[in-house]
Amino acid sequence: MDVAPEPAAQRDAVPLFELRGISKQFPGVKALDEVSFTIARGEVHMLLGENGAGKSTLMKVLCGAYRADSGELLQNGKPADISSPADARRFGIAVIFQEFTLVPYLDIAQNIYLGRAFRGRVPGFVDRKRLYSQARRVLDMIGFDIDPHTPVHTLGVAQQQMVEIAKALSQDARILVMDEPTAALSDRETERLFAIIRRLRESGVAIVYISHRLAEVFALGDRITVLRDGRKIASVRPAETSPDDLVRLMVGRAVDRTYAREYCKTPGELLLDVKGLASDNGIADISLAVRAGEIVGLCGLVGSGRTEVARAIFGADRITAGEIRLKGESIAGSPEDSARRGMALIPENRKQQGLALGRSVGDNIVLASLHKMFPSGIFRPSRAARAARAGIEQLRIATPGPNRPVSVLSGGNQQKVVVAKWLAADARVFIFDEPTRGIDVGAKAEMFRLIDALVQKGAGVLMISSEQTEIVHVCDRAYVMRAGRIVGELARDQLTEANIVRLGMHQ
Amino acid sequence: MTAAASMILRVPGVAIALVLLVAIFGVANPNFATLSNAQNILIQSTILLLLALPMTLIIMTEGLDLSMGAVLTLASIALAMTVVATGSSTLALAAALAVGLGFGVLNGCLVALLDIPPFIATLGTLGIAQGLSLVVTDGQSVVGIPRGLQQVYGGTFGGVPIPILIGIVAFAVFYLTLYRTRFGSYIFALGGNREALKLAGVADRAMLIATYVVGGTMAGFAALLMTARMNSAHPTAGIGLEFDAIAAVAVGGTSFERGNGWLTGTLLGVLVVGVLRNGLNLMAVPSSAQVAGIGALVIAALLVDGLRSRA
Repeated sequence: MDVAPEPAAQRDAVPLFELRGISKQFPGVKALDEVSFTIARGEVHMLLGENGAGKSTLMKVLCGAYRADSGELLQNGKPADISSPADARRFGIAVIFQEFTLVPYLDIAQNIYLGRAFRGRVPGFVDRKRLYSQARRVLDMIGFDIDPHTPVHTLGVAQQQMVEIAKALSQDARILVMDEPTAALSDRETERLFAIIRRLRESGVAIVYISHRLAEVFALGDRITVLRDGRKIASVRPAETSPDDLVRLMVGRAVDRTYAREYCKTPGELLLDVKGLASDNGIADISLAVRAGEIVGLCGLVGSGRTEVARAIFGADRITAGEIRLKGESIAGSPEDSARRGMALIPENRKQQGLALGRSVGDNIVLASLHKMFPSGIFRPSRAARAARAGIEQLRIATPGPNRPVSVLSGGNQQKVVVAKWLAADARVFIFDEPTRGIDVGAKAEMFRLIDALVQKGAGVLMISSEQTEIVHVCDRAYVMRAGRIVGELARDQLTEANIVRLGMHQ
Repeated sequence: MTAAASMILRVPGVAIALVLLVAIFGVANPNFATLSNAQNILIQSTILLLLALPMTLIIMTEGLDLSMGAVLTLASIALAMTVVATGSSTLALAAALAVGLGFGVLNGCLVALLDIPPFIATLGTLGIAQGLSLVVTDGQSVVGIPRGLQQVYGGTFGGVPIPILIGIVAFAVFYLTLYRTRFGSYIFALGGNREALKLAGVADRAMLIATYVVGGTMAGFAALLMTARMNSAHPTAGIGLEFDAIAAVAVGGTSFERGNGWLTGTLLGVLVVGVLRNGLNLMAVPSSAQVAGIGALVIAALLVDGLRSRA
């Protein structure tokens, strides 16, 4: 199901740029598997796919940040050797990442021409007249009416994005890659951006547009390519497809035994009850419940506020509204209080937030239960060692002994140390943020067995995951988030990837 | 908010601090608000300015140079020993600059090439420079500075004291460099978004080294004024100068994050420190206690800045 570009957009038979049979392997995961992708002059090519489908990896290959393991890059049919961002620029490829590459305390013109400033008469000095007149010219090209002397740190996100676009155009970019450019824009700003994109398309610039929003795919796209699990699934024209088709293409139907478990038929007591929660970090009106014996999913796109919810519930972020009840008691909203009352947060970034990497496995296991274990305040090594050995046995942590530093363990075993730490502290409610990020398939299965064992023993689990397959197969229920709010709850029999995508997408 | 209140909020805090300090000392001591004392303050502030200017650039890169005072000391000793041995002021200045440049290169390489945190790297070079100063002098002052060299601090040119002229020229050079040259915009980028600089194809590490080299060299140059002022080189002469320089930069409103620097603020910050030292001197507060005053001022300035930016 491949289509060639529209004849109107196709001035010659050879595409402006072509990626042919690109594969890229990362430890434990095949990020790209023989993906081919063409870019035609003056087209807007939408790139669509779930989190982890390989969109970003493909674009990083295009812009020289990654080198493909195999496959070819061709410009106008001729091989293009791109092994660094500088190479990509020479081929007229510019990428606007979600993370801007702007210097906050320089002005717009200096940012546009950073590293390429016009030489003045005195060596080292900048020809300011040309700098600002050229910047003005580039800003006019996209109809951005602003003084180029304005410092960038005073601009809003939408304006900074315009500066990024101007910067790309000033380098004579012929291919502009935009990674979810509307993620942080208002409706009006989005309209302006679309107008600019259409204008650029008129002038022959090709635009590769990564998006999660189906509405814009149809509003803007000349062609749509869908990636799933590192493979190209389809390349279609908007007229030949529908939002439902696209969702089906993105989601696929892969089922895996990794996730097999007995679902919870009769949930126990209400362990965690959150009502109307809002925090400084942009989440609002969050209400959810976790009962004993349940694994409850919290899903949505990256950036929809899932981690922020976890942090707010645990007390790591300041709460501005709402109530959290743990086993019926209202909690104060500090990590210390939450931990003492039996809540555990197992963060996404273990290395930064969950473990003292330089310390031993044993030290880490007793870290959260020191109060309970040593009420007198005096540390008793023998008692700590006993608790550590118990944790290691219970979770089958693969370590030569409790005295080994955590840093030498594998990712999956480090994860277990974090869980053991909270088990030692008698936690009943576990919040897992991306528990399988960065661990291989075997470790994943074991992780889910571990989570299942926790709920079998009467714990309640709230699990955040970007991998919808995991949510669908592991969870008893799931909440779907979009833009800082919970937009739906899916019971076990409604829990399908298509439903998650439908709720989580910006339609 | 009333118009008057919002106008006051727009006046930089360091300017308000300067006015307040001048007013307080003017009232407290009749000898403070005189023309000759004003000139004194300016002259005495020059050495600090020569350190605070490059310190601003270094802090803008999210760095720090703790070694400046010690490097100044060592450069001062090199200068004094050279002039005593050879009689040539030119050679002596070259020796001082060479010491400063060498330590600047060392600092820059430690930070930019070996990725040692600037605090640690320059703390180490502080120790090295300070230790060398004590070793080569055996803890004694180097005396016998010729009259001509003393004129660099005591003399005038066209009626204006030479240190003040040096200060004006240094400020102008730094101002033009930061705001009008490519190197200047790279300094903003080093602290503001180093990734952007890399993507723009600029040798970011080389630029970072250059920033520390500027710092070291300026410390070497400031040694000339220090030696001329003390009429000797003493192995503890520069101790704590980096503290005053960092204080001046911080009071002047340069941020330790995101490459947000303000050179005029540093100039005002230097004057604030200078006025404070001078005023406390006139009130016979011992030098050791003045350090406490400066420390309190830095904390107060940052607190007030934080409150004002929220208002």
